[in-house]
Amino acid sequence: MSSVRLSDIPRTTGFRLALLFLGLGGAGAAILFGFLYVQTAGFLARDVDNGLAREIRVRAAMNATELARLMNDRAPLDPDNMRPFALFDRAANWMAGSRVTLPEPLPSPDQPFDFTLAHEGKAMPYRGVLHRLDTGEFFLAAEDVGPIQHFRHLLAAAMLSGGLVVLMIGLAGGMIVGAAALGRIDGVALAIERIINGNLSERLPLTRKGGDLNRLIRVVNRMVDEIERLMNEVKGVTDNIAHDLRTPLTRLLAGLERVRRRDPASEEYADAIDDAIVETRGLLATFNALLRIAEIEAGARRAGFKTLDLQPVITDVADFYEPMAERKGVSLVVDNEPASDGLLAGDPSLLFEAIGNLVDNAIKFTPPGGEVALRALRRGDRLGIEVSDTGPGIPEEERVAVLRRFHRVDKCRNAPGSGLGLSLVAAVAKLHGFDLAIEDAQPGCRVTLWHADIPGQDRRSDPQDSAPADETPPEPAARLA
Amino acid sequence: MARVLVIEDDRRTAAEIAAALGDHGFDVECAYTGRDGLLRATAEKYDAIVLDRMLPGDLDGLGILATLRTIRTETPVLILSALSAVDERVRGLRAGGDDYLTKPFESVELTARLDVLIRRHSMPQQETTLRVGDLQVDLLTRELRRAGRMVELLPREYRLLEYLMRHAGRVVTRTMLFEEVWGYHYDPQTNVIDVHIGRLRRKLEEGGEPQMIHTVRGSGYVLRAAE
Repeated sequence: MSSVRLSDIPRTTGFRLALLFLGLGGAGAAILFGFLYVQTAGFLARDVDNGLAREIRVRAAMNATELARLMNDRAPLDPDNMRPFALFDRAANWMAGSRVTLPEPLPSPDQPFDFTLAHEGKAMPYRGVLHRLDTGEFFLAAEDVGPIQHFRHLLAAAMLSGGLVVLMIGLAGGMIVGAAALGRIDGVALAIERIINGNLSERLPLTRKGGDLNRLIRVVNRMVDEIERLMNEVKGVTDNIAHDLRTPLTRLLAGLERVRRRDPASEEYADAIDDAIVETRGLLATFNALLRIAEIEAGARRAGFKTLDLQPVITDVADFYEPMAERKGVSLVVDNEPASDGLLAGDPSLLFEAIGNLVDNAIKFTPPGGEVALRALRRGDRLGIEVSDTGPGIPEEERVAVLRRFHRVDKCRNAPGSGLGLSLVAAVAKLHGFDLAIEDAQPGCRVTLWHADIPGQDRRSDPQDSAPADETPPEPAARLA
Repeated sequence: MARVLVIEDDRRTAAEIAAALGDHGFDVECAYTGRDGLLRATAEKYDAIVLDRMLPGDLDGLGILATLRTIRTETPVLILSALSAVDERVRGLRAGGDDYLTKPFESVELTARLDVLIRRHSMPQQETTLRVGDLQVDLLTRELRRAGRMVELLPREYRLLEYLMRHAGRVVTRTMLFEEVWGYHYDPQTNVIDVHIGRLRRKLEEGGEPQMIHTVRGSGYVLRAAE
C-alpha cells in the first residue's frame, strides 16, 4: 500500500460522508443551543422584571418622606449596590437612596429599562423600573443584572467552544475515515494496475474491515480467476496451434523448395504440386476446424437450431459410419433405450458432426472384432446419447485433457487425426446444454452426453438435483456444461 | 456455353475464379463493384452469378441479392464468403442465394456446384427413368439394372447413385454428396464417403462390368457411361 496523499482525502466518499454528517449534526446542535440560550436568558430577565414590579407595588402606597427614610436606612445594608433604590424630586433630581443618575430622557414610568452605574470604576449593568408617586416624585427600584449577563456570556462561550470541539472531532474523524478508504482503494488500485500490466496471478487484497468493499473484491477476484484460466487455455491452444501447424508448413516449404532446386521433369513437378495441395488442404482443414470450434464455443451458432429428435440423428450417424466399421471388422450397433425419443432444440448438422466424431474415434481405437455401440438414452426426463466401444479406453488422468484442442493421448500420437475432434464434441455439447462425461466401460471407453434441459424446468437449475432419485444418471467423470 | 457473372472486389481473386471457371468451360465476366455487378446482372442474361458476400461501398452482396430477387431476376446465385459462420450461411440462403461457399474454396467445389445450379435451373426434372450407358434406374419403383442385370441397393446407396446419375459426366464433390444424400451441412473431412462409394462401385461391377464411377483426385467423383 502506498502512503496516503492528504490532498486526495477530501475527494474520498468516506470523508465527504463524514463532513455531511458533521454539517447536519452541527446544525441540529446549533438550533438546540440557540433555543436553550433564548429560553434561559428570557427566563432570568422575566424573573428580574417580576421582582421589580413586586417591589414597586409594595412601595407605591408609601409617600415620599417614608420612602426617603426607608432608603436611607437600607442603603448601608447594600454596599455593593445589588438592589439600589432611589427617590427623585419632580425635576428628577436625586433626593434619597442609592446615588443613581437617571438616564436622559426619562424612561417611561413602570416600564423596565436597562442602564449602567459606575461601581468601583466599572460600568455595571442594571435593570430598573421608574414609578411616579401621586405627589410627583420619582421612585426607582433596580437590580444588578451583572451576574445574569455574566451567566449568559458563559453559556454562549460554553456552547461555542463545545461546537468547536465537535467540529474538530468531526473533521478529524472524516480525515481518518477518508484516509482509511483511500488506503484500501489505493491497495486495490495498485493490484489492478499490476494485473493490467500482465501479472494475472495477482489478486486484489481483502481488507480487515472492508465490509461492502470486500464483497466487491471477492467478485472481482473470481472474475480474475476466470480470466486467468481462459488466458492459460488460450496460451495452451496457441502453443499447440503453432506446433501443429509448423509441421505441415515445414513439409510444404521443403517440398516446394526441393522441386525449385532440382528443376525436375514435368511429371515430378506435378507430383510436388499435388503434394503441396494436399498439405495446404490439411492446413486449411485444421484452420477451419479451429474457427468452427471457436465459433461454436462463442455460442454464436444458433441460427441452425430447430426442434429435433435425437434418434434419427443417431441412426443417420450409424448409417454413415457403418461401412467404415465394417471395413475395419468392428460391429457398429444402434441400441436405443425404450422411450428415448423426445424433442429438444438443436442444430442437426452440429449434433451429427459431434456424434460422428465420437463414432469415428471409437471405430479408430477399437481393434477388429470389437464393438461400437450407439445409444439414445432416457433417465426420467433427461435425454442423452452414449457412444461406447471395446477399445483400450482413455486413462482417467487424460479424460479432461483429451477435450483440449490438439491434445492427443501419447500412445495414439501416430494415429491419423487432427486432435480437434473431441474439442469440437465438447463445444457442441456445451452449446446444446449437454453434460459430457468420459468413463471406463470395462473394457473400452464410454462417452455420454446428458441433456441438461428438463421440460418445464429452468434451464439453469442443476439437473442432478431435479432428476428422480432412483433414476439419477451416473455421476459424470468430467462435466463440462 | 454457360455465361457466368463473377462479382468480386478483389481483382486477383476475381482473376483466379475467372480462370478456374474458364478452364471448366464457362464464359466468364467479372464485375469489381456492387453497383457494376447489379447493373450487369439486370441488363444482361447470365446462367449463374458468383457473388462475393462482402463488397466495399454501400451495396454489398446481400443487398445485390435482395435487389435481384425483388425485381424477379431468377438467375441462380452462388454466394462466396470469407465468413464461415453458419449464421451467415443461413442469412445468405434466406436472402435468396442458391448455394453458399466459404473462402478459401477449391476450384472443383466451385465449378461442380455451379454446374448443378445451372442444370437444376435449366432442366425441370420430370423423367421417370434415368439412363447412363448400360445403367438404368426406374425412379418410381427404384429398380436398378446394369446391362439388364438387377442390382440390389440399400436406400442410401440408391440415393447416392441417383444423385450421381442426375449429374452424369460432371464432377460431384464429397461435400455435395454428403449434403445431398445425408442432408447435413458440414465438411465431414473423412474418407467415409469413399467407403460408401466403394461399396456402390462393387455392386455396379459385380457382373464383371467396367468401372463407371471414377474418382477425381482430391475432390470427388464423376459417373460416366462405360466405354
